[in-house]
Amino acid sequence: MIELRNVSKTYPNGTEAVKRVTVHIKPGEFVSLVGRSGTGKTTLVKMLVAEEKPTEGRIILGGWDITRIRTADIPMLRRQIGVVFQDFKLLPRKTVYENVAFALEVAGYGKKHIKDVVPQILALVGLEPKAKEFPDELSGGQQQRVSIARALAHRPKILIADEPTGNLDSINTREIVDLLLKINSFKTTVMLVTHNREVVNSLRKRVIAMEDGKIAYDEEKGRYVL
Amino acid sequence: MLFLSSRRILTFSWQHFWRNIWLSLVTITIIVLTLFSLTTLILVNAIADYAVNSVKDTVDVSLYFDNAISEEAIKTLKQELDKIEELKEVQYITPEEALEQFKETHKDDADIQSALAELDKNPLGGTLVLSAHAIEQYPAVMEKLKELKADSLAEKIDYNDHQKLIERINNFTAKLRTFVLALSLVFILVAILTVFNTIRMGIYIHRTEIGIMRLVGASNWFIRLPFVIEGLLYAVFGCLVFWLVLAIALHFTGDWVNSFLAGINFDIRAYLNKNVLNILGFEFIIVAVINMISAAFAMGKHLKV
Repeated sequence: MIELRNVSKTYPNGTEAVKRVTVHIKPGEFVSLVGRSGTGKTTLVKMLVAEEKPTEGRIILGGWDITRIRTADIPMLRRQIGVVFQDFKLLPRKTVYENVAFALEVAGYGKKHIKDVVPQILALVGLEPKAKEFPDELSGGQQQRVSIARALAHRPKILIADEPTGNLDSINTREIVDLLLKINSFKTTVMLVTHNREVVNSLRKRVIAMEDGKIAYDEEKGRYVL
Repeated sequence: MLFLSSRRILTFSWQHFWRNIWLSLVTITIIVLTLFSLTTLILVNAIADYAVNSVKDTVDVSLYFDNAISEEAIKTLKQELDKIEELKEVQYITPEEALEQFKETHKDDADIQSALAELDKNPLGGTLVLSAHAIEQYPAVMEKLKELKADSLAEKIDYNDHQKLIERINNFTAKLRTFVLALSLVFILVAILTVFNTIRMGIYIHRTEIGIMRLVGASNWFIRLPFVIEGLLYAVFGCLVFWLVLAIALHFTGDWVNSFLAGINFDIRAYLNKNVLNILGFEFIIVAVINMISAAFAMGKHLKV
Protein backbone atom coordinates (compact mmCIF):
# COMPACT_ATOMS: atom_id res chain seq x y z
CA MET A 1 0.00 0.00 0.00
CA ILE A 2 2.68 2.53 1.05
CA GLU A 3 6.17 1.93 -0.18
CA LEU A 4 9.18 4.15 0.40
CA ARG A 5 12.38 3.07 -1.32
CA ASN A 6 15.60 4.76 -0.18
CA VAL A 7 13.79 8.08 0.23
CA SER A 8 15.87 11.12 1.15
CA LYS A 9 14.91 14.75 1.47
CA THR A 10 17.41 17.58 1.61
CA TYR A 11 16.06 21.14 1.80
CA PRO A 12 17.65 23.95 -0.25
CA ASN A 13 19.40 25.26 2.90
CA GLY A 14 21.24 21.92 3.15
CA THR A 15 19.20 20.39 6.00
CA GLU A 16 18.90 16.61 5.55
CA ALA A 17 15.43 15.93 7.00
CA VAL A 18 15.05 12.34 5.79
CA LYS A 19 17.94 10.00 4.97
CA ARG A 20 17.56 6.86 2.85
CA VAL A 21 14.31 5.65 4.43
CA THR A 22 12.89 2.34 3.20
CA VAL A 23 9.49 1.27 4.54
CA HIS A 24 6.68 -0.96 3.33
CA ILE A 25 3.23 -0.67 4.89
CA LYS A 26 0.64 -3.28 3.93
CA PRO A 27 -3.02 -2.49 3.15
CA GLY A 28 -5.15 -2.29 6.31
CA GLU A 29 -2.17 -1.95 8.64
CA PHE A 30 -2.10 0.36 11.69
CA VAL A 31 1.34 1.94 12.03
CA SER A 32 2.64 4.39 14.59
CA LEU A 33 5.43 6.64 13.33
CA VAL A 34 7.24 7.92 16.39
CA GLY A 35 10.23 10.03 17.25
CA ARG A 36 11.21 13.30 18.86
CA SER A 37 10.49 16.66 17.19
CA GLY A 38 12.73 17.37 14.18
CA THR A 39 13.47 13.74 13.36
CA GLY A 40 11.80 13.89 9.92
CA LYS A 41 8.30 12.53 10.70
CA THR A 42 6.44 15.57 9.36
CA THR A 43 8.68 15.75 6.26
CA LEU A 44 7.78 12.11 5.57
CA VAL A 45 4.05 12.95 5.86
CA LYS A 46 4.50 15.97 3.57
CA MET A 47 6.13 13.74 0.96
CA LEU A 48 3.25 11.24 1.20
CA VAL A 49 0.70 13.96 0.39
CA ALA A 50 2.98 15.51 -2.28
CA GLU A 51 3.50 18.74 -0.39
CA GLU A 52 7.23 18.03 -0.72
CA LYS A 53 9.08 15.99 -3.30
CA PRO A 54 11.85 13.60 -2.30
CA THR A 55 15.39 14.51 -3.32
CA GLU A 56 16.18 10.82 -3.86
CA GLY A 57 14.35 7.49 -3.84
CA ARG A 58 10.81 6.56 -4.80
CA ILE A 59 7.41 6.71 -3.12
CA ILE A 60 4.67 4.35 -4.31
CA LEU A 61 1.10 4.47 -2.98
CA GLY A 62 -1.22 1.63 -3.96
CA GLY A 63 0.89 0.96 -7.06
CA TRP A 64 0.98 4.67 -8.02
CA ASP A 65 4.50 6.12 -8.20
CA ILE A 66 4.07 9.64 -6.83
CA THR A 67 7.80 10.47 -6.67
CA ARG A 68 7.56 12.97 -9.52
CA ILE A 69 3.80 13.48 -9.49
CA ARG A 70 2.44 16.20 -11.83
CA THR A 71 0.85 19.23 -10.13
CA ALA A 72 -2.46 18.48 -11.88
CA ASP A 73 -2.57 14.99 -10.31
CA ILE A 74 -1.99 16.13 -6.71
CA PRO A 75 -5.70 16.79 -5.94
CA MET A 76 -6.52 13.24 -7.05
CA LEU A 77 -3.83 11.88 -4.70
CA ARG A 78 -5.14 13.94 -1.79
CA ARG A 79 -8.63 12.53 -2.27
CA GLN A 80 -7.16 9.09 -1.71
CA ILE A 81 -5.29 9.99 1.46
CA GLY A 82 -7.14 11.48 4.44
CA VAL A 83 -5.00 13.68 6.66
CA VAL A 84 -5.73 15.09 10.11
CA PHE A 85 -3.59 17.50 12.08
CA GLN A 86 -3.06 18.56 15.66
CA ASP A 87 -4.76 21.95 15.04
CA PHE A 88 -7.91 20.42 13.43
CA LYS A 89 -7.98 22.99 10.56
CA LEU A 90 -11.75 23.51 10.67
CA LEU A 91 -13.66 26.44 9.17
CA PRO A 92 -15.11 28.37 12.13
CA ARG A 93 -18.04 29.88 10.19
CA LYS A 94 -19.25 26.51 8.98
CA THR A 95 -21.22 23.97 11.00
CA VAL A 96 -19.99 20.44 11.65
CA TYR A 97 -22.09 19.22 8.72
CA GLU A 98 -20.85 21.99 6.42
CA ASN A 99 -17.20 21.38 7.35
CA VAL A 100 -17.47 17.75 6.30
CA ALA A 101 -19.60 18.58 3.23
CA PHE A 102 -16.99 21.18 2.17
CA ALA A 103 -14.51 18.40 1.29
CA LEU A 104 -17.07 16.92 -1.11
CA GLU A 105 -18.27 20.28 -2.50
CA VAL A 106 -14.78 21.36 -3.59
CA ALA A 107 -14.33 18.01 -5.32
CA GLY A 108 -17.48 18.68 -7.35
CA TYR A 109 -19.88 16.15 -5.78
CA GLY A 110 -23.63 16.74 -6.09
CA LYS A 111 -26.00 17.69 -3.29
CA LYS A 112 -27.62 14.26 -3.19
CA HIS A 113 -24.30 12.44 -2.78
CA ILE A 114 -23.30 14.89 -0.03
CA LYS A 115 -26.66 14.43 1.73
CA ASP A 116 -26.19 10.65 1.68
CA VAL A 117 -22.52 10.50 2.68
CA VAL A 118 -22.09 13.20 5.36
CA PRO A 119 -24.64 11.79 7.91
CA GLN A 120 -23.05 8.34 7.51
CA ILE A 121 -19.58 9.69 8.31
CA LEU A 122 -20.88 11.81 11.19
CA ALA A 123 -22.54 8.69 12.60
CA LEU A 124 -19.24 6.80 12.27
CA VAL A 125 -17.38 9.41 14.34
CA GLY A 126 -20.32 9.77 16.77
CA LEU A 127 -21.15 13.38 15.93
CA GLU A 128 -24.56 13.09 14.26
CA PRO A 129 -26.32 15.02 17.06
CA LYS A 130 -23.78 17.84 16.74
CA ALA A 131 -24.23 18.31 12.98
CA LYS A 132 -25.66 21.82 13.26
CA GLU A 133 -23.16 23.11 15.81
CA PHE A 134 -20.16 25.28 15.05
CA PRO A 135 -16.58 24.19 15.87
CA ASP A 136 -16.17 26.63 18.76
CA GLU A 137 -19.21 25.03 20.46
CA LEU A 138 -17.41 21.66 20.58
CA SER A 139 -14.69 20.19 22.83
CA GLY A 140 -11.18 19.61 21.44
CA GLY A 141 -11.89 15.87 21.06
CA GLN A 142 -15.11 16.58 19.17
CA GLN A 143 -13.36 19.05 16.89
CA GLN A 144 -10.72 16.44 16.10
CA ARG A 145 -13.51 13.98 15.30
CA VAL A 146 -14.97 16.51 12.84
CA SER A 147 -11.52 16.76 11.28
CA ILE A 148 -11.35 12.95 11.01
CA ALA A 149 -14.87 12.88 9.52
CA ARG A 150 -13.79 15.39 6.87
CA ALA A 151 -10.67 13.33 6.12
CA LEU A 152 -12.93 10.30 5.59
CA ALA A 153 -15.34 12.13 3.24
CA HIS A 154 -13.65 10.75 0.11
CA ARG A 155 -13.52 7.24 1.68
CA PRO A 156 -9.71 7.17 1.47
CA LYS A 157 -7.74 3.94 1.67
CA ILE A 158 -5.09 5.65 3.80
CA LEU A 159 -5.60 7.90 6.82
CA ILE A 160 -2.61 9.84 8.14
CA ALA A 161 -3.03 11.40 11.58
CA ASP A 162 -0.22 13.85 12.32
CA GLU A 163 -0.13 14.39 16.12
CA PRO A 164 -3.95 14.18 16.32
CA THR A 165 -3.92 14.08 20.13
CA GLY A 166 -1.32 16.80 20.67
CA ASN A 167 -3.93 19.30 21.91
CA LEU A 168 -6.14 16.89 23.81
CA ASP A 169 -6.46 15.67 27.39
CA SER A 170 -6.09 11.97 28.19
CA ILE A 171 -9.84 11.16 27.94
CA ASN A 172 -10.22 12.81 24.55
CA THR A 173 -6.92 11.26 23.44
CA ARG A 174 -8.27 7.81 24.22
CA GLU A 175 -11.48 8.55 22.29
CA ILE A 176 -9.54 9.64 19.23
CA VAL A 177 -7.22 6.63 19.35
CA ASP A 178 -10.27 4.34 19.69
CA LEU A 179 -11.84 6.06 16.69
CA LEU A 180 -8.66 5.52 14.63
CA LEU A 181 -8.70 1.83 15.61
CA LYS A 182 -12.36 1.62 14.60
CA ILE A 183 -11.55 3.17 11.19
CA ASN A 184 -8.64 0.73 10.83
CA SER A 185 -11.04 -2.15 11.53
CA PHE A 186 -12.80 -1.21 8.24
CA LYS A 187 -9.52 -2.07 6.43
CA THR A 188 -8.35 1.56 6.13
CA THR A 189 -4.59 1.85 6.48
CA VAL A 190 -3.86 4.19 9.39
CA MET A 191 -0.56 5.97 10.00
CA LEU A 192 -0.47 7.62 13.42
CA VAL A 193 2.37 10.13 13.71
CA THR A 194 2.94 10.90 17.38
CA HIS A 195 5.38 11.26 20.20
CA ASN A 196 2.82 10.20 22.83
CA ARG A 197 4.61 7.25 24.42
CA GLU A 198 1.58 6.12 26.44
CA VAL A 199 -0.70 5.92 23.38
CA VAL A 200 1.82 4.00 21.28
CA ASN A 201 2.62 1.51 24.02
CA SER A 202 -1.06 0.81 24.68
CA LEU A 203 -1.77 0.02 21.03
CA ARG A 204 0.47 -3.05 20.58
CA LYS A 205 0.64 -2.36 16.87
CA ARG A 206 3.53 -1.82 14.46
CA VAL A 207 5.89 0.99 15.47
CA ILE A 208 8.35 2.74 13.17
CA ALA A 209 10.71 4.99 15.12
CA MET A 210 12.72 7.76 13.49
CA GLU A 211 15.87 9.39 14.75
CA ASP A 212 17.97 11.97 12.91
CA GLY A 213 16.06 11.41 9.66
CA LYS A 214 16.62 7.65 9.62
CA ILE A 215 14.61 4.62 10.72
CA ALA A 216 15.87 3.77 14.22
CA TYR A 217 13.73 0.63 14.47
CA ASP A 218 10.66 -0.92 12.87
CA GLU A 219 8.84 -3.52 14.99
CA GLU A 220 5.57 -5.42 14.73
CA LYS A 221 3.67 -4.97 18.03
CA GLY A 222 6.42 -2.61 19.10
CA ARG A 223 6.86 -0.05 21.84
CA TYR A 224 8.10 3.51 21.95
CA VAL A 225 11.46 3.14 23.66
CA LEU A 226 13.61 6.04 22.35
CA MET B 1 -20.17 17.78 -11.91
CA LEU B 2 -18.83 20.59 -14.14
CA PHE B 3 -22.06 22.59 -13.75
CA LEU B 4 -21.99 22.13 -9.97
CA SER B 5 -18.34 23.13 -9.79
CA SER B 6 -18.98 26.20 -11.94
CA ARG B 7 -21.86 27.24 -9.67
CA ARG B 8 -19.72 26.76 -6.57
CA ILE B 9 -16.82 28.70 -8.11
CA LEU B 10 -19.21 31.58 -8.88
CA THR B 11 -20.53 31.41 -5.30
CA PHE B 12 -16.99 31.56 -3.90
CA SER B 13 -16.17 34.49 -6.22
CA TRP B 14 -19.25 36.37 -5.06
CA GLN B 15 -18.37 35.63 -1.40
CA HIS B 16 -14.83 36.98 -1.93
CA PHE B 17 -16.32 40.10 -3.53
CA TRP B 18 -19.05 40.67 -0.96
CA ARG B 19 -17.13 39.84 2.23
CA ASN B 20 -14.51 42.51 1.41
CA ILE B 21 -17.05 45.02 0.19
CA TRP B 22 -15.03 48.12 1.13
CA LEU B 23 -11.96 46.85 -0.65
CA SER B 24 -14.18 45.94 -3.61
CA LEU B 25 -15.66 49.46 -3.67
CA VAL B 26 -12.19 51.05 -3.67
CA THR B 27 -11.16 48.76 -6.54
CA ILE B 28 -14.30 49.62 -8.52
CA THR B 29 -13.67 53.35 -7.93
CA ILE B 30 -10.15 53.06 -9.36
CA ILE B 31 -11.53 51.16 -12.36
CA VAL B 32 -14.18 53.88 -12.88
CA LEU B 33 -11.42 56.52 -12.86
CA THR B 34 -9.41 54.46 -15.35
CA LEU B 35 -12.48 54.21 -17.59
CA PHE B 36 -13.08 57.94 -17.27
CA SER B 37 -9.56 58.60 -18.48
CA LEU B 38 -9.84 56.03 -21.32
CA THR B 39 -13.18 57.50 -22.44
CA THR B 40 -11.68 61.00 -22.38
CA LEU B 41 -8.88 59.72 -24.63
CA ILE B 42 -11.42 58.22 -27.04
CA LEU B 43 -13.45 61.46 -27.07
CA VAL B 44 -10.38 63.65 -27.61
CA ASN B 45 -9.51 61.51 -30.63
CA ALA B 46 -13.05 61.65 -31.96
CA ILE B 47 -13.39 65.42 -31.49
CA ALA B 48 -9.96 66.05 -33.08
CA ASP B 49 -10.80 63.90 -36.11
CA TYR B 50 -14.18 65.57 -36.40
CA ALA B 51 -12.67 69.05 -36.20
CA VAL B 52 -9.97 68.32 -38.78
CA ASN B 53 -12.49 66.71 -41.14
CA SER B 54 -14.83 69.69 -40.76
CA VAL B 55 -12.02 72.02 -41.79
CA LYS B 56 -10.96 69.71 -44.62
CA ASP B 57 -14.52 69.73 -45.95
CA THR B 58 -14.37 73.50 -46.37
CA VAL B 59 -11.25 73.31 -48.54
CA ASP B 60 -11.98 73.97 -52.22
CA VAL B 61 -10.76 75.84 -55.29
CA SER B 62 -12.98 78.54 -56.81
CA LEU B 63 -12.59 79.90 -60.32
CA TYR B 64 -14.28 83.29 -60.71
CA PHE B 65 -15.09 84.45 -64.23
CA ASP B 66 -15.69 87.91 -65.57
CA ASN B 67 -19.31 88.42 -66.66
CA ALA B 68 -17.98 88.99 -70.16
CA ILE B 69 -17.03 85.29 -70.36
CA SER B 70 -19.83 83.34 -71.96
CA GLU B 71 -21.60 80.50 -70.20
CA GLU B 72 -20.61 78.17 -73.07
CA ALA B 73 -16.90 78.89 -72.52
CA ILE B 74 -17.24 78.16 -68.82
CA LYS B 75 -19.18 74.95 -69.48
CA THR B 76 -16.54 73.82 -71.98
CA LEU B 77 -13.89 74.33 -69.31
CA LYS B 78 -16.12 72.46 -66.84
CA GLN B 79 -16.24 69.48 -69.20
CA GLU B 80 -12.41 69.46 -69.28
CA LEU B 81 -12.28 69.73 -65.50
CA ASP B 82 -14.75 66.86 -65.06
CA LYS B 83 -12.11 64.59 -66.61
CA ILE B 84 -9.60 65.28 -63.81
CA GLU B 85 -9.62 62.11 -61.62
CA GLU B 86 -8.56 63.91 -58.44
CA LEU B 87 -11.76 65.97 -58.48
CA LYS B 88 -14.82 64.69 -56.67
CA GLU B 89 -17.10 67.44 -57.90
CA VAL B 90 -17.06 70.47 -60.20
CA GLN B 91 -19.98 72.75 -59.43
CA TYR B 92 -21.04 75.54 -61.75
CA ILE B 93 -22.62 78.54 -60.10
CA THR B 94 -24.39 80.79 -62.60
CA PRO B 95 -24.03 84.62 -62.35
CA GLU B 96 -27.62 84.76 -61.06
CA GLU B 97 -26.94 82.19 -58.33
CA ALA B 98 -23.69 83.99 -57.47
CA LEU B 99 -25.63 87.25 -57.08
CA GLU B 100 -28.25 85.58 -54.87
CA GLN B 101 -25.51 84.09 -52.70
CA PHE B 102 -23.75 87.46 -52.50
CA LYS B 103 -26.99 89.18 -51.48
CA GLU B 104 -27.67 86.54 -48.88
CA THR B 105 -24.15 86.77 -47.42
CA HIS B 106 -24.38 90.57 -47.15
CA LYS B 107 -28.06 90.90 -46.33
CA ASP B 108 -27.27 92.87 -43.15
CA ASP B 109 -24.96 95.32 -44.94
CA ALA B 110 -27.17 98.22 -46.03
CA ASP B 111 -24.41 99.89 -48.09
CA ILE B 112 -23.84 96.84 -50.23
CA GLN B 113 -27.56 96.24 -50.62
CA SER B 114 -28.19 99.83 -51.79
CA ALA B 115 -25.17 99.70 -54.15
CA LEU B 116 -26.50 96.50 -55.71
CA ALA B 117 -29.95 98.07 -56.12
CA GLU B 118 -28.47 100.90 -58.11
CA LEU B 119 -26.83 98.58 -60.62
CA ASP B 120 -28.66 97.89 -63.88
CA LYS B 121 -27.17 94.51 -64.48
CA ASN B 122 -25.54 91.70 -62.59
CA PRO B 123 -21.87 92.60 -61.99
CA LEU B 124 -20.91 89.01 -61.10
CA GLY B 125 -19.82 86.36 -63.51
CA GLY B 126 -20.11 82.58 -63.22
CA THR B 127 -18.06 80.52 -60.79
CA LEU B 128 -16.70 77.00 -60.85
CA VAL B 129 -16.19 75.38 -57.41
CA LEU B 130 -13.81 72.42 -57.45
CA SER B 131 -13.76 69.80 -54.65
CA ALA B 132 -11.08 67.11 -54.59
CA HIS B 133 -11.48 63.62 -53.07
CA ALA B 134 -8.76 64.34 -50.48
CA ILE B 135 -7.00 67.44 -49.26
CA GLU B 136 -3.63 66.06 -50.42
CA GLN B 137 -4.84 66.12 -54.04
CA TYR B 138 -5.26 69.90 -54.33
CA PRO B 139 -1.64 70.62 -55.40
CA ALA B 140 -2.13 68.14 -58.27
CA VAL B 141 -5.44 69.82 -59.17
CA MET B 142 -3.66 73.21 -59.26
CA GLU B 143 -1.06 71.73 -61.65
CA LYS B 144 -3.79 70.42 -63.96
CA LEU B 145 -5.47 73.86 -63.92
CA LYS B 146 -2.16 75.36 -65.08
CA GLU B 147 -1.93 72.77 -67.88
CA LEU B 148 -5.45 73.65 -69.00
CA LYS B 149 -4.52 77.36 -68.89
CA ALA B 150 -7.59 77.98 -66.73
CA ASP B 151 -5.96 81.10 -65.33
CA SER B 152 -6.19 82.78 -68.73
CA LEU B 153 -9.96 82.32 -68.78
CA ALA B 154 -10.75 82.87 -65.12
CA GLU B 155 -10.52 86.31 -63.61
CA LYS B 156 -9.36 84.91 -60.27
CA ILE B 157 -8.47 81.49 -58.89
CA ASP B 158 -9.05 81.26 -55.14
CA TYR B 159 -7.40 78.39 -53.30
CA ASN B 160 -7.73 78.36 -49.54
CA ASP B 161 -6.21 75.13 -48.19
CA HIS B 162 -6.62 75.97 -44.44
CA GLN B 163 -3.30 74.17 -43.99
CA LYS B 164 -2.24 76.32 -41.05
CA LEU B 165 -5.54 75.81 -39.24
CA ILE B 166 -5.36 72.04 -39.74
CA GLU B 167 -1.77 72.04 -38.47
CA ARG B 168 -2.80 74.02 -35.40
CA ILE B 169 -5.67 71.63 -34.63
CA ASN B 170 -3.37 68.66 -35.15
CA ASN B 171 -0.64 70.12 -32.92
CA PHE B 172 -3.07 70.97 -30.15
CA THR B 173 -4.87 67.62 -30.22
CA ALA B 174 -1.57 65.71 -30.42
CA LYS B 175 -0.44 67.39 -27.19
CA LEU B 176 -3.82 66.82 -25.54
CA ARG B 177 -3.82 63.21 -26.73
CA THR B 178 -0.33 62.61 -25.28
CA PHE B 179 -1.38 64.10 -21.95
CA VAL B 180 -4.58 62.02 -21.72
CA LEU B 181 -2.70 58.91 -22.87
CA ALA B 182 -0.10 59.43 -20.13
CA LEU B 183 -2.92 59.95 -17.62
CA SER B 184 -4.64 56.77 -18.85
CA LEU B 185 -1.41 54.79 -18.46
CA VAL B 186 -1.02 56.09 -14.91
CA PHE B 187 -4.61 55.05 -14.12
CA ILE B 188 -4.08 51.64 -15.75
CA LEU B 189 -0.98 51.12 -13.58
CA VAL B 190 -2.90 52.20 -10.46
CA ALA B 191 -5.75 49.84 -11.44
CA ILE B 192 -3.32 46.93 -11.91
CA LEU B 193 -1.76 47.58 -8.48
CA THR B 194 -5.14 48.01 -6.79
CA VAL B 195 -6.64 44.84 -8.23
CA PHE B 196 -3.39 42.98 -7.44
CA ASN B 197 -3.56 44.19 -3.85
CA THR B 198 -7.28 43.42 -3.46
CA ILE B 199 -6.85 39.87 -4.71
CA ARG B 200 -3.71 39.38 -2.61
CA MET B 201 -5.70 40.52 0.45
CA GLY B 202 -8.49 38.12 -0.56
CA ILE B 203 -6.00 35.25 -0.71
CA TYR B 204 -4.63 36.26 2.70
CA ILE B 205 -8.10 36.49 4.25
CA HIS B 206 -9.09 33.10 2.82
CA ARG B 207 -5.76 31.39 3.51
CA THR B 208 -7.29 28.90 6.01
CA GLU B 209 -10.05 27.98 3.58
CA ILE B 210 -7.52 27.64 0.74
CA GLY B 211 -5.29 25.44 2.91
CA ILE B 212 -8.26 23.17 3.69
CA MET B 213 -9.27 23.08 0.03
CA ARG B 214 -5.79 21.87 -0.88
CA LEU B 215 -5.84 19.37 1.98
CA VAL B 216 -9.10 17.78 0.86
CA GLY B 217 -8.11 17.58 -2.81
CA ALA B 218 -9.70 20.60 -4.50
CA SER B 219 -8.24 21.00 -7.97
CA ASN B 220 -5.95 23.93 -8.74
CA TRP B 221 -8.45 25.60 -11.02
CA PHE B 222 -11.19 25.24 -8.40
CA ILE B 223 -8.98 27.17 -5.95
CA ARG B 224 -7.71 29.73 -8.46
CA LEU B 225 -10.75 30.42 -10.62
CA PRO B 226 -12.78 32.27 -7.93
CA PHE B 227 -10.00 34.87 -7.77
CA VAL B 228 -9.92 35.26 -11.57
CA ILE B 229 -13.71 35.63 -11.62
CA GLU B 230 -13.46 38.11 -8.74
CA GLY B 231 -11.20 40.17 -11.01
CA LEU B 232 -13.82 39.93 -13.77
CA LEU B 233 -16.55 41.02 -11.35
CA TYR B 234 -14.59 44.21 -10.66
CA ALA B 235 -14.40 44.81 -14.43
CA VAL B 236 -18.16 44.23 -14.87
CA PHE B 237 -19.18 46.45 -11.94
CA GLY B 238 -16.58 49.09 -12.88
CA CYS B 239 -17.99 49.33 -16.43
CA LEU B 240 -21.60 49.34 -15.21
CA VAL B 241 -21.00 52.08 -12.63
CA PHE B 242 -18.96 54.21 -15.04
CA TRP B 243 -21.51 54.06 -17.86
CA LEU B 244 -24.37 54.69 -15.47
CA VAL B 245 -22.60 57.77 -14.05
CA LEU B 246 -21.68 58.93 -17.58
CA ALA B 247 -25.27 58.52 -18.82
CA ILE B 248 -26.65 60.50 -15.85
CA ALA B 249 -23.96 63.18 -16.18
CA LEU B 250 -24.58 63.60 -19.91
CA HIS B 251 -28.33 63.72 -19.38
CA PHE B 252 -27.93 66.77 -17.18
CA THR B 253 -24.83 68.42 -18.66
CA GLY B 254 -24.84 67.26 -22.30
CA ASP B 255 -26.09 70.61 -23.65
CA TRP B 256 -23.54 72.50 -21.60
CA VAL B 257 -20.71 70.23 -22.88
CA ASN B 258 -21.98 70.54 -26.45
CA SER B 259 -21.96 74.34 -26.14
CA PHE B 260 -18.14 74.10 -25.80
CA LEU B 261 -18.03 72.15 -29.04
CA ALA B 262 -20.52 74.33 -30.90
CA GLY B 263 -17.74 75.72 -33.11
CA ILE B 264 -17.22 72.35 -34.75
CA ASN B 265 -20.81 71.19 -34.32
CA PHE B 266 -19.84 67.99 -32.43
CA ASP B 267 -22.69 66.37 -30.48
CA ILE B 268 -21.14 64.32 -27.68
CA ARG B 269 -24.42 62.55 -26.77
CA ALA B 270 -25.09 61.53 -30.35
CA TYR B 271 -21.51 60.28 -30.72
CA LEU B 272 -21.68 58.19 -27.53
CA ASN B 273 -25.14 56.86 -28.36
CA LYS B 274 -23.92 55.74 -31.78
CA ASN B 275 -20.68 54.16 -30.51
CA VAL B 276 -21.71 52.94 -27.06
CA LEU B 277 -21.34 49.23 -27.86
CA ASN B 278 -17.93 49.60 -29.51
CA ILE B 279 -16.52 51.80 -26.75
CA LEU B 280 -18.05 49.75 -23.92
CA GLY B 281 -16.80 46.50 -25.48
CA PHE B 282 -13.32 47.91 -26.00
CA GLU B 283 -13.15 49.31 -22.45
CA PHE B 284 -14.53 46.14 -20.88
CA ILE B 285 -11.91 44.05 -22.68
CA ILE B 286 -9.12 46.40 -21.55
CA VAL B 287 -10.28 46.39 -17.92
CA ALA B 288 -10.99 42.63 -17.90
CA VAL B 289 -7.50 41.90 -19.27
CA ILE B 290 -5.92 44.27 -16.71
CA ASN B 291 -7.81 42.56 -13.88
CA MET B 292 -7.05 39.05 -15.04
CA ILE B 293 -3.34 39.84 -15.41
CA SER B 294 -3.35 41.35 -11.90
CA ALA B 295 -5.18 38.32 -10.52
CA ALA B 296 -2.72 35.97 -12.23
CA PHE B 297 0.24 37.88 -10.75
CA ALA B 298 -1.32 37.92 -7.27
CA MET B 299 -2.02 34.18 -7.43
CA GLY B 300 1.39 33.34 -8.87
CA LYS B 301 3.04 35.16 -6.02
CA HIS B 302 0.81 34.19 -3.12
CA LEU B 303 -1.12 31.07 -4.07
CA LYS B 304 1.27 28.19 -4.52
CA VAL B 305 -0.99 25.17 -4.87
